[in-house]
Amino acid sequence: MPPLGMPAKRALPPKESSLFKELLNLYETRQLKKGLKTADQILKKFPEHGETLCMRGLILTHMGKREEGLELVKKGVRLDLTSHICWHVFGLIQKGEKNYEEALKSYTQALKFDKENLNILRDAAHLQTQLRIFDGLVETRHTLLKLRPALRQNWIGLVVAYHLNGNLKEARTVLENYEATLKNVPDYDVEHSETLLYHVRLLEELGEYEEAISFLDSNAKSRAIIDRIAIMEFRARILSKMYSEDAEHTWQALIEQNPDCYDYYRGFLSNRGVDLDAVTDDTRSKALECLREFSTQLPRANAPRRLALNVALGDEFKELAEPYLLSALRKGIPSLFADIKALYSDVGKRQIIEEIVEAERQRSEHPPDASSTEPSTYLWTLYFLAQHYSSLSQHARALSLLDTALMHTPTLPELYMFKARVLKRSGDPFNAARAMDEARLLDLQDRFLNTKCGKYRLRAGLVEEASEIFALFTKKDAASPGADLEDMQSLLFLTEEADAHLRNGNLGLALKRYLAIQKVFSDFEDDQFDFHGYSLRKFTINPYLGLIQWEDRLRSHRTYVHSAIIASQILVRLHDDPSLATASTATANLTDAEKKAKKKAKKAAQKVQEESKKAAGSTANEDKGLEPGPAKDDDPDGIKLLQAPEPLERAAKMLQPLRTLAADNIDAWIAIYDVSIRRKKYVQAVKALAAARALQPGHPELHVRLIHCKSTVSSLPEPLAAPAGPVVIATITKLVPDEQSLELFNSQYLQQHSGNARATLAASKASRQLQASLEEVENTLFTALNPDVELDIKTAVDVLALLKEIQSSRAEEFRAACDAKFELATIFRPANELPALRRIALEADLTSVDAEKQEVLS
Amino acid sequence: MNIRPARVDDLMGMQACNLQNLPENYTMKYYLYHILTWPQLSYVAEDHKGRIVGYILAKMEEDVGEEDEAHGHVTSISVLRSYRRLGLAKKLMVQSQEAMATVYRAAYVSLHVRKSNRAALSLYRDTLGFTMKDVEKKYYADGEDAYAMRLSLKHLAR
Repeated sequence: MPPLGMPAKRALPPKESSLFKELLNLYETRQLKKGLKTADQILKKFPEHGETLCMRGLILTHMGKREEGLELVKKGVRLDLTSHICWHVFGLIQKGEKNYEEALKSYTQALKFDKENLNILRDAAHLQTQLRIFDGLVETRHTLLKLRPALRQNWIGLVVAYHLNGNLKEARTVLENYEATLKNVPDYDVEHSETLLYHVRLLEELGEYEEAISFLDSNAKSRAIIDRIAIMEFRARILSKMYSEDAEHTWQALIEQNPDCYDYYRGFLSNRGVDLDAVTDDTRSKALECLREFSTQLPRANAPRRLALNVALGDEFKELAEPYLLSALRKGIPSLFADIKALYSDVGKRQIIEEIVEAERQRSEHPPDASSTEPSTYLWTLYFLAQHYSSLSQHARALSLLDTALMHTPTLPELYMFKARVLKRSGDPFNAARAMDEARLLDLQDRFLNTKCGKYRLRAGLVEEASEIFALFTKKDAASPGADLEDMQSLLFLTEEADAHLRNGNLGLALKRYLAIQKVFSDFEDDQFDFHGYSLRKFTINPYLGLIQWEDRLRSHRTYVHSAIIASQILVRLHDDPSLATASTATANLTDAEKKAKKKAKKAAQKVQEESKKAAGSTANEDKGLEPGPAKDDDPDGIKLLQAPEPLERAAKMLQPLRTLAADNIDAWIAIYDVSIRRKKYVQAVKALAAARALQPGHPELHVRLIHCKSTVSSLPEPLAAPAGPVVIATITKLVPDEQSLELFNSQYLQQHSGNARATLAASKASRQLQASLEEVENTLFTALNPDVELDIKTAVDVLALLKEIQSSRAEEFRAACDAKFELATIFRPANELPALRRIALEADLTSVDAEKQEVLS
Repeated sequence: MNIRPARVDDLMGMQACNLQNLPENYTMKYYLYHILTWPQLSYVAEDHKGRIVGYILAKMEEDVGEEDEAHGHVTSISVLRSYRRLGLAKKLMVQSQEAMATVYRAAYVSLHVRKSNRAALSLYRDTLGFTMKDVEKKYYADGEDAYAMRLSLKHLAR
């Protein structure tokens, strides 16, 4: 007879029943091989026993046989739909695959049949947190606390659940009940201290300031809260919110503790009625007085001196700026310009700074007697002035200052670094890369210079050559330098290489890298999972709440936004022209070096694959975990990515987070439009345009889309049905007036924005859409060269690209005109000069290798 | 530059700074582990745009031998090359040490440095006052030895 309530097919005879218990034990202790044997023993007699099948599948999954394991588990679940073990196992496997939604469904099933299973409840709580299902989380945490009230973390779990669910009052009640249960907390208990600090925060967020302060003070006094900095920060901030004069002492103490924290000065001054970020004529003298006092009190602190420069004006500014600038120039502080550049938004301050540093240049170039000035002061003055003039777009002047400095001291990497930057800004990425290489060669141990050099090579389109540079600091056993940087989540590298591939016309690898960026963000999102349990055990609640907030806004990061927008543009191009995805087109643009590199990378990847296989073979006994290992790269060129079906659906998915997280980014809305209109989601499309227009009505790319949208919708074979139709029409009519022809709308836009090269480019794109003649489009584009139009290098590059795209016979003419117009630029040199320019970019390195060789030979 | 305690939303900036400067790199999970275990010990230096230009990532040593005392450990500290000579590393280190001493009553702080990294060695020894304690053979993945260095925090005890 099976035990009461157990379905007959689950019941096993005593022998097998005890074997099954052993199986569970073997799994718990990760004796997988023995476990497998035991399972087989049971299955020999009872091949349809669901729970055993599931356990066997789970063990196989741990041993790396994922597919076989999953099949077994599914079969097991089907055979015993009311077993909590079966559903739990299924949930575990789904969780391991990071399929959190499905995992939670399985856990919910499991809980139906075993309501008080602590392990399942805990896992379910973590899944609910990951999925932000906070109502459910509160319920689960409640159950856990009811079942095990002696466990401290169960109390905190419920508190946090209420907090996340927005119910701060209930969080407070539970927290206070919890604190009442505590007895004999040892002194200096960091976990307890963190819990109490969370309590203070909770009171602060509830607006109960007085209570927060008395709670904080009494617990600080009894040394139950031991984090001094946190005590002072909470105290000062809350007292300031209460407009209490006592706040001043605490801000003062914080400043003495850390005299370079801007927030503390901000707090101190706000307590005296001064908003440091919006100083008025009424508060200026008070602010300066305070800051001067701090400068005297704290001679080693930079913050009060620097803050005073924000506040002071006119003569007073000059009086403060002079010693600030001169002392930094004499000490040779490389970041001086970066430090004070923000002051340049005030032209008066900018001029004063220029005068001070120019005077110092005079002085230090011809010192009255040699001992009075360090020769390096002259050098740093030249360096500063080069940055100063370059920021005012006087690049030739900056370069000549740098040349003077380099004659003076040819061994300072900073000079070459900045020379590289000026050249890059002037449209000469090749000589820029060379200058950065020269900087690197002066200090080969410095990874910072190495990273910059690699980045500049990428900017010059030298992808493979950049990789050679990165290789000097990446792990030698990685499949490639890029693979190591990707593993280490270097967003800088991934972005720069993706952009470089795109500029080189290599869509496959560009897309692959942009998707690698998105993968890094997905990994960051997954990273939080383990902390849903860990932080409760450690009682680090405040930083944990910070983690949740950070995760919720993760994809607002500019790197994600950039990758999503550009990748979606590639996918849109693939939709519009699927021939771009054929292998021959995608790799046609590879240089010989890149082809060679590809072969090399393939070989290396193979080697790594084989080695990891070997390693896997030798450790097959150990628990490999439930997470899939690194997948083999079977698409080294990204061709499969280009050819994958439904490019628009993929694009829409990666743009989705931008709707809320990058709602103030006009490029995001334009990308959303481009995808929506092609997916025939007309309401979404027009709403995206409306959002874009609310941000910046005359934006050039928006103008192109307005015309595109109107002509697309009006040329639909059948009018859109309600309810979407009327919404779309009404919205478009607000964006583009009905009574005007689109041609007129376009020419009016061009007139309104004459003098703006971007607008010229946009109007040309639009007239092309409106079927204007090639000649007309060319003529409009060439007006970008008119003397009254402000044409920058980037726009010129884009105009040239469009001329080539429409197969204009005048592209070469435009290129030559730009070549003449931008004197320092090399990107407009004739195509046949490109190989020579690429060589220049690499010359510094080659020369140094030669020099080394000669040294060895001599 | 602004010196302040590190928060979770600084970690990406710290990771980027680390990758630009140093050969020892970590995935985000390791940064999260630090800040969610010892939230008081890590600090950042940021420029006026909020970009992280320097950081100290620190922890308490977890496996403390019976003879040994509680002590902190600097997992990673670095400052972007273009922000050097401002004394940022020292300022970051001082703040972290203070927290190690007051919150965890650390007796000393330890760190590792590559034998070949002369610049870092001179920073730790000459500027920050660390002394050489030991050589750890093949400490780094590529087989290089590390100097184990430490600095007493007894003067900070309260």
